[in-house]
Amino acid sequence: MAYYLLLPVLSILVVALQTTIADILFSGRLVIEISLIAVIYAGFRLELPKGSVLAFVFGFVFDCLVSSVIGLFTLVYMIIFVASYAVSLIADTQKLRLVALWGFVFALAEQALVILFYSLILRFDAMSSVPFVFLPQAMVIGLFAPVFFYLMRLVEVYIYGKPLHRLERGGDSRISAEI
Amino acid sequence: MFIFRHYKSLVLIAILFVIAIIMLSYNTRHRQAGRQADGFFRKLVLEAAAPFQKLMRISSTGISESWGKYVSLVGVVEENKKLEKAVGELEAELLRYKEGHLEAQRLAKILAFKESLPYDFIAARIIAKEQAALSKIVIIDKGSFDGLRSGMPVVSSAGLVGRLIDVSWNVAKVLLIIDENSNVDVMLHRTRAQGIFSGMGYRGGALKYITKNQDIAEGDEVISSGMGGVFPKGLMIGRVSFVEKLDTELFLRIRVAPYVDFSKLEEILVLVAEEKRRK
Repeated sequence: MAYYLLLPVLSILVVALQTTIADILFSGRLVIEISLIAVIYAGFRLELPKGSVLAFVFGFVFDCLVSSVIGLFTLVYMIIFVASYAVSLIADTQKLRLVALWGFVFALAEQALVILFYSLILRFDAMSSVPFVFLPQAMVIGLFAPVFFYLMRLVEVYIYGKPLHRLERGGDSRISAEI
Repeated sequence: MFIFRHYKSLVLIAILFVIAIIMLSYNTRHRQAGRQADGFFRKLVLEAAAPFQKLMRISSTGISESWGKYVSLVGVVEENKKLEKAVGELEAELLRYKEGHLEAQRLAKILAFKESLPYDFIAARIIAKEQAALSKIVIIDKGSFDGLRSGMPVVSSAGLVGRLIDVSWNVAKVLLIIDENSNVDVMLHRTRAQGIFSGMGYRGGALKYITKNQDIAEGDEVISSGMGGVFPKGLMIGRVSFVEKLDTELFLRIRVAPYVDFSKLEEILVLVAEEKRRK
């Protein structure tokens, strides 16, 4: 229960923090979407109910604070969560270099969904932003995802005494800090 | 097997998906109708985030200033350790004075600008800059309790900044004109040719739908045309920075550099009444 109660506060903190970090590091030109990395983490490591609620809350808070179209990132984050969960069932998501790769792929997927929405629903061409905004941002997420996963592993060990296991993975998988 | 084992979780996910889709379609429909839906939970999140954002903005300013100070003092610090403390203190004091002086200058400029225009304004401070891939949004410290409503234009002494898209009780979200989702009806001050200014993020903006037979030159001033009913006529927007005529296209390709420096924006004015004040 504490998890669900803390989630809204945590999501607000994360979304506010990621903009501040981006402002300091990239003068606001790029955003380190920690919220997206958290959703990918939820897909890879958390149980379905906890992960889906995390994706929904993070998406909604991101929509409220950042997006001009409310609901867009809520839906996109839910899709990314389901996709990352599916990936975690069929592929190896333990090694940090693969986490980086999946982070990059999911960041591109998120942006593709946003472009698709803007083109189909709002009739607005966002393709010109691909080389300037989307690709660098996906790379930034790819770089930061392993750092986030590594830090979360430390948190898991600190809280539970060992890295988090998901039941449907059979309990035989380990979270590796190997790069 | 997976479905049977996790049917409860899958039902929860389905419900969350349905809520997200309903929320998106509801807001998209409102948006296309030119209205902005003000939701209670959205207001709640904006209100809850405001203290964190204020705190983080103060911290980030502190870090940036400290970093800038460190860079400028590299090499000098070791030269005279005795003077380091005194220099530091004096610099901090000077910085405070400078900050106060700059703030006074900015406020004086805003006040002069406010007086020069025949509209009623509410002054507000920016408490956060929220940016996603296609969104360029700032959050201000005034809301519906101060008389703000969605759709109101926002200006600074340099020119048009954007418009309010979400208004909570004590804070509000401003969609900047450089947001890729923002379009403003504009005209060129010199030739009166009309077009649409579309945001392009940190690259500024593009002036669209200007036909090739129009006389446009780099340096031409772009102002709001007053068409569309959102922004009043004559607000400064930017200067034409690039013009290209392509044989294959019907319209000119024009880039506009906005007058407002969005990275340094701290105080803004919200235009609350379009009627002229006659005293």
